[in-house]
Amino acid sequence: MTDSQQQTQQLPLLRVEDLTVRLRGEAGIVHAVSDVSFQLQRGQTLGIVGESGSGKSVMARALMGLLPRRATQQLDGQVSLAVDGKVLELLKLSEREFRTLRGPRLAMVFQDPMTALNPVLTLGVQIAEPLQLHLGLNKAQAMARALELLAQVGIPDPEGRLRQYPHQLSGGMRQRVVIAIALACDPQVLLADEPTTALDVTVQRQVLDLLLALQRERQMGMVLITHDLGVVANRADHIAVMYAGRIVEYAPTSRLFSAMRHPYTEALFKSVPRLSDPSHTRLHAIPGRPPQLIDPAPGCAFAPRCPNAQQRCRRETPALTQAGDEHLHACFYPIGIKEVGA
Amino acid sequence: MSETSNPQLRARDDIVLKVEHLVVTFDVGRELVQAVSDVSFDIARGETLGLVGESGCGKSTVGRAIMQLPPPKGGKVIFKGQDITQLEGEALRKTRTALQMIFQDPISSLNPRRRVKDIIAEGLQIWERPNQRARVEEVMEAVGLDPETAADRRPHQFSGGQCQRICIARSLALDPDVLICDEPVSALDVSVQAQILNLLEDMKARYQLTMVFVAHNLAVVKHISDRVAVMYLGKLCEIGSVDAVYQHPSHPYTQALLASIPELETSQEDAIPLLQGDIPSPMNPPSGCRFRTRCPKAQAICAQQEPAMQASPSGIGDHFVACHFPG
Repeated sequence: MTDSQQQTQQLPLLRVEDLTVRLRGEAGIVHAVSDVSFQLQRGQTLGIVGESGSGKSVMARALMGLLPRRATQQLDGQVSLAVDGKVLELLKLSEREFRTLRGPRLAMVFQDPMTALNPVLTLGVQIAEPLQLHLGLNKAQAMARALELLAQVGIPDPEGRLRQYPHQLSGGMRQRVVIAIALACDPQVLLADEPTTALDVTVQRQVLDLLLALQRERQMGMVLITHDLGVVANRADHIAVMYAGRIVEYAPTSRLFSAMRHPYTEALFKSVPRLSDPSHTRLHAIPGRPPQLIDPAPGCAFAPRCPNAQQRCRRETPALTQAGDEHLHACFYPIGIKEVGA
Repeated sequence: MSETSNPQLRARDDIVLKVEHLVVTFDVGRELVQAVSDVSFDIARGETLGLVGESGCGKSTVGRAIMQLPPPKGGKVIFKGQDITQLEGEALRKTRTALQMIFQDPISSLNPRRRVKDIIAEGLQIWERPNQRARVEEVMEAVGLDPETAADRRPHQFSGGQCQRICIARSLALDPDVLICDEPVSALDVSVQAQILNLLEDMKARYQLTMVFVAHNLAVVKHISDRVAVMYLGKLCEIGSVDAVYQHPSHPYTQALLASIPELETSQEDAIPLLQGDIPSPMNPPSGCRFRTRCPKAQAICAQQEPAMQASPSGIGDHFVACHFPG
């Protein structure tokens, strides 16, 4: 893309370029995130899919400026956030500057709503806190706004709930409160890291539908991180599949499902048990297991488990390359266009 | 509480395990919680019964109560014609060798200080079985662990999926009749889940196992089960063959559960309304039908009278539902 083309395009809300995170672990340096790039537009949802250890949560924390400082050995790349027509380089900000962004600009919903809430503060106090801190509301104003927020996230009897503590709520209700806190200062970007994994399936859908409705209503950019392809299948505009700290495939959602190119994407897709399969259908298991990210071997990280792997895959790391309009994959021997599902 | 009749129990002579009017209670402070309330089902030789429901429905407690861990408060667990709730001490321990269990978190269910071969051999040593070494090697090979390289290692040197293989090998060492699997794949990554599910199917065929498979994931349960029992707040809602329950779900809760699953192919337009609200506390379950507070079909009678198990309107054999307005 030339510079002039870039200028005529709408400025992306969030732009991540070559994000690389290395963490110090007990057993060595963990290559948690390597060369991750993507863009997020206003009003869009990006689904990030990966198994445990794929780097998806570390990436989210890096975007929020929440990496453990002492354990971070290397943090490289660019994270640009468009704020009121200006572009902020997040990785260059001081902790103090970053703090002013968390809440009004960037907010995060975590996996476990029990540990994300403070057990000794009432819900009202916890929702009002960012409102007082960032928006300068007084206590009465903040409480009034907290009440509105609780109602917006679908909590029955919000007035009574304001005075309650987290342990008095069910898991689904707690996650709604976490969402209310995240939305309190009207953020432009919402990162949701496995927001429904800790919830029961009937509650999971309620919470996902709520997140999506709020995202549309407020035209936020949302990054929805999950290990479950089913969670993002009908909800994300684009999907990035991560493996061993890298994005291995990126595409608009419908295109990803109809024409996946990376063997890992396909293997992950096929290994999920489906309701539509008859009983005792043999599953397509991926042999082996995800790699350790300490001193990774050269070459493609998926090569040891890949049916298409050749000599070259064990020597060189494939870069993300264009495979069509907005469709990228990192594979030397991608699979042909396949009609899956449909 | 009066005991209900149990039309869902089948009159077959190959029933290996039968659970009748099972009740499990827990002390919670000054109160008693009925975690499992009058649950009955049976399993025929070679069958896999899937036990599904959301957290707090009592499915894991049923699995443990079958093992007498702890013994249930009421009801019978009849294994090969013998009520094992009446057994104690040595007799119970001996009978229990034929019932084995694997758990959700494979890493915490293995002693980190012991070698894999000793973990797997422990039951054989206790019961002084012959040819222990050969048996350990045989089950290790069966679950896909190389006895040469894995036998002398300790659990921390293995991944979660490998640890679950060790747990499965341990459960098979004593040649059990029944294997109870309590959420055996929910702690594993999707790509590893499929390996373990396939392995369980292989082991079932190789060792002629009868299985109870407890899980919250309906797609996983469908893949592995012959029959499915759906639980809600300690009660059995629906039981039947996989085809009956998945193709013709008769209980509004089963219908809602199936509609809630995020599927890769389904569109957002689902005919079945989403469930509102959360699961009520089991400390104080709703009167009558326990599902009525979230049920789109609930009427006055649902609050007054607990629905009895009855043949499902699906017309499929051995398909039963506990609902006043099934279908």
